[in-house]
Amino acid sequence: MNTGLDVGSTTAKIVRLESGIITASKVVPSHRWKELLEDGNKRDTVETVETIGTLETPETTGTVETIGAAETVETIVSTGYFRKTVPHTAAITEITAASLGVRYYIPDAQVIVDVGGQDTKVIDLRNNTFLINDKCSAGTGAFLELAAHYFDIPVESLGKLHTRASRCARINNTCGVFAISEMISQLVGGYTMEEVICGIHQAFARRIAQMIPPVETVVLIGGTVLNTGIVESFESIHGSTVVVPPSPQTVNALGAALYGKKLRPEK
Amino acid sequence: MTDTVGITALIPPELVYACRHRPLDVNNVVPTSQINPRSKLCAWTAVWRDEIMEGWLDIDSLIVVAGGDCHNALVDGQKVALSGVPTHYFFYPFDRDPDYMTSQLKGLARFLGGIKDKEMFHTISRLKEKGLALDQLRVDDRARASDVFSALISFGDMQGDPAAFEEVLDTIPRTDVEYSSRVALIGVPPIYPDFHEVAEGFGLHVVYDELPYEFVRLGGNDLQGLAGSYRNYSFSGPIVDRIELIRQELDRRRVDGVIHYTQFACHHTLEDEIFRAHLDYPILTVQGDLPRPSSEQLKLRLEAFSEMLEVMP
Repeated sequence: MNTGLDVGSTTAKIVRLESGIITASKVVPSHRWKELLEDGNKRDTVETVETIGTLETPETTGTVETIGAAETVETIVSTGYFRKTVPHTAAITEITAASLGVRYYIPDAQVIVDVGGQDTKVIDLRNNTFLINDKCSAGTGAFLELAAHYFDIPVESLGKLHTRASRCARINNTCGVFAISEMISQLVGGYTMEEVICGIHQAFARRIAQMIPPVETVVLIGGTVLNTGIVESFESIHGSTVVVPPSPQTVNALGAALYGKKLRPEK
Repeated sequence: MTDTVGITALIPPELVYACRHRPLDVNNVVPTSQINPRSKLCAWTAVWRDEIMEGWLDIDSLIVVAGGDCHNALVDGQKVALSGVPTHYFFYPFDRDPDYMTSQLKGLARFLGGIKDKEMFHTISRLKEKGLALDQLRVDDRARASDVFSALISFGDMQGDPAAFEEVLDTIPRTDVEYSSRVALIGVPPIYPDFHEVAEGFGLHVVYDELPYEFVRLGGNDLQGLAGSYRNYSFSGPIVDRIELIRQELDRRRVDGVIHYTQFACHHTLEDEIFRAHLDYPILTVQGDLPRPSSEQLKLRLEAFSEMLEVMP
């Protein structure tokens, strides 16, 4: 069995692969990542894979033990911000995890946009290059959290509210913090909350679009793309065909599991 | 040797020594500086400016490379000049004109009081041959890139003492290097003091440091020789020349990928899309601002780039 564990800034995700088939997946808030290795998700024996060295077992977890020739063999490949502090057989960056995970669904994918809670990554699979926006909240999940917090609504409701807008307020500012004052100005000017949210989504999409090279098809992944308002705004602004794979939030965990499969092919 | 002459970018150290002065590349103190510059665009120039003006960097005069380097240096150099430090402005010819280059070198020699020790040209030439041999050692995987980088970057001023510097060069360990990928580092040098060590930690063997290579590639045994060589300083002329040289070196050094270091508020940052369009290699662009140990953001990028070069088809 190959397990992919993606513990990011906001959520933790797990995907289990058996015989190349996804047999389990789960998402919890990041601080509850240990739950992913419990309650039927847990395997308490993990074998060290020689090719990547010694298994690290942080004292903080205490749930993993290393054995020799185990009767049940499992690789845990971790990714995400916490990849080196959670139990893992190997740790890989989100860039590699996303590349592998997306190719599982879309073998000829060209450009991936991974919208995370704290950063956004654009991966160009055509020439193995990538860009990361991690110095500015605009174009990251944090930007949307800020907007949702202002309206005192759950961030998950932004997509639904967007569909109720009959027009979009123009939000020009690319800085997440200053965009809030622009939101307020638009509310003062008579726009509804739904119309301002639509404007926020468009500003978000414009910020991301600036990072993307010319390409016909873009694959969007990350929990943020569960927000249909973001996907719709991005499609209209970037002009490319947008593909969202099934379970876009767990694609990186899947990629990590697939990397484990590379390390130890299932028999 | 008497006075210490600060230099803000590459000028022939041979000439400074031949004029019986001691060059000090003011950039070499920047990565480990504790200065928080008062006002800045590029931290490289702002830090050496404040280091000098605060009296932390003891120099008797300053040579500012204005033409062929950057206008941030020109302005910050003038601030230093206004504070009372004798300052000379040096300009490379964009069109590589040998006569103009010669006139600039003559002007520099005059500022330094004239050539007094021609033997220094030969002394430095011999050292640069050692530098080139050292550079080749890491290309052949027989020296660590971090050691070679430290040596090559010091060729800008020979650490103020060519004889002592030669001893330093002779002690650099020869060792077989293991790595996952060979990379080139182009652009201005990283402002992070531990960049090469961090890259090595992720299995990236830096086999080409673009700017420090210029420090050993260029030279000459008299004024005419210096003019003929230094007029080809790659950073000072048309970018097409630079691209051609980089291509040759990437090929010769068998690199798998290219890291383009850019400095916040540096005009060289604008060159990134040109390199991406004209170099047919995976390219990672990273950017630094203030001198600090490598950030987690930088480490993530280097780790991901290493994985990408190793794992991706």
